[in-house]
Amino acid sequence: MEFTPVLRSELLKIRTLRSLVGGLCGVLLSTVLFSALAGADSGGPDADPLFSVFFGVAFGQIAAIAFGTTAVAAEFRGGALRASLAAVPRRGRWFAAKTVAVGVPMLLVGLLTGCVSLAVGRAVPGARAAGLTWGEQVRGVVGCGFYLTLMALLAVGLTAVLRSGVATSSLLIPFLLIVSFVIGDMSGSVADLLPDRAGQVVLHRTWDGSLGPWTGLAVTALWTAAALAAGAWSLRRRDV
Amino acid sequence: MTSIDVQNLTKEYGTRRAVDGLTFRVRPGRVTGFLGPNGAGKSTTMRLVLGLDRPTSGTATVGGRPYAGLREPLRHVGALLDAHAAHGSRTGRDHLRVLAASNRIPGRRVEEVLEETGIAGAAGRRVRTYSLGMRQRLGIAAALLGDPEVVLLDEPANGLDPEGIVWIRTLLRRLAAEGRTVLVSSHLMNETASFADHLVVLGRGRLLADTPMREFIDTRVCPRVRIRTTDATALTAVLARHGHDAVRHEAGHWTVDHARVDDIGRVVSSAGVPLLELATEEGTLEQAYLDLTGGEAEFTAPAREA
Repeated sequence: MEFTPVLRSELLKIRTLRSLVGGLCGVLLSTVLFSALAGADSGGPDADPLFSVFFGVAFGQIAAIAFGTTAVAAEFRGGALRASLAAVPRRGRWFAAKTVAVGVPMLLVGLLTGCVSLAVGRAVPGARAAGLTWGEQVRGVVGCGFYLTLMALLAVGLTAVLRSGVATSSLLIPFLLIVSFVIGDMSGSVADLLPDRAGQVVLHRTWDGSLGPWTGLAVTALWTAAALAAGAWSLRRRDV
Repeated sequence: MTSIDVQNLTKEYGTRRAVDGLTFRVRPGRVTGFLGPNGAGKSTTMRLVLGLDRPTSGTATVGGRPYAGLREPLRHVGALLDAHAAHGSRTGRDHLRVLAASNRIPGRRVEEVLEETGIAGAAGRRVRTYSLGMRQRLGIAAALLGDPEVVLLDEPANGLDPEGIVWIRTLLRRLAAEGRTVLVSSHLMNETASFADHLVVLGRGRLLADTPMREFIDTRVCPRVRIRTTDATALTAVLARHGHDAVRHEAGHWTVDHARVDDIGRVVSSAGVPLLELATEEGTLEQAYLDLTGGEAEFTAPAREA
């Protein structure tokens, strides 16, 4: 089987479900909204000017995870996966198409989200974002796009392993909301290697951990790759 | 010539054998009814044929090849496994478009199968608004999408209204007449009798029968003649003289077991017994099936002491 028709089918699945299209809009809206709120609040003088522009990513990532989870969880309802795999029996190829179909729209929306957040951040009167260099701004936008994509794909892999959207959400969302906030302040520890902490370094102007912006993103990518590999393995091995 | 070949197929879930050393072949050009009590392994066998479950041992092939090895499988094999396969928030048309895209099936086929299954009018509605009967029709539309030589339908008559049942009967007959291989599982005996040419019967994962339907019934149900007369004494006398036992029923008619209407008719009329009715009581598939599977049902109700 060729890859392109399978990918086209998976993209069509995303386009034809209103909840998925809505989920992508949710990523954009929540990120921009919370970034704008954070920008309006002047913050302390020691607040990171780049992160204040992308502050909303902490909320947008929840929407990104919901998007990735929903896209895969839809296959585990009723006999949907049976119909999908009867049409595309090469499961590895099918899962790769699913991953690309989630990842590419998410990356485009993520980059757009980064641009809009930056524009809004700079538009706030007296914004500290005005002092950012061109390079830092590009890094923030690109980092925002890739970070959100990696989180959505992390959810894709995890949902394929757990075979349930509820299980994935109840694992990932509390993890991001609680675990990271609680142990996140203990910088310089293993907490720096958690997928969200590592990936968000790219959204900061300065950092003091062992990970830089791109190495941090690479660590998140490793988490995502591991989740996707586990998802593919589980899908290929199990009966449906 | 595309047939489904099942060879020594065994599937274990833990310690339970859902399918146990199954061997049979489903041939093209006829409708094969796939019968068996609940839990006999019909659906499991279908999933094994479609490569959705991995067999513990043995093989299942379509046209000599494993399903997973087919390029664009929907163009060769169409299957309805579950009426709830379509996402409730997608429209019926979009569900079919998604499936068509993956196997490079042209978009006009989507409209054709929507027309053919009678749901074109509802194609723009979300699947969650469909009745069970409409979902079944959508599932059948999906099975027919790639114009496949092989069609597998698991309980397709579920939830269909009487008109739908007549429709599916006609559809199955037509698909077989076009030379396709058609395998249809069902637990509705009268329904199956109305469309099947051949039967494959399972019980506890094993093959119980693989025979033409007529033969299946004839070997399991004794033929019986039904008679009504105004002169019961003369009737019983003449039948007894020819070695037949007539049994009287409350409704007023008589039956003779192990007899053919040709013989009884000749005997009775030559003796001048007035007849109101003389007919063959055909064995039904249901009788034959129950005779065969009596001991095989996994969940039979315990016999109650009177």
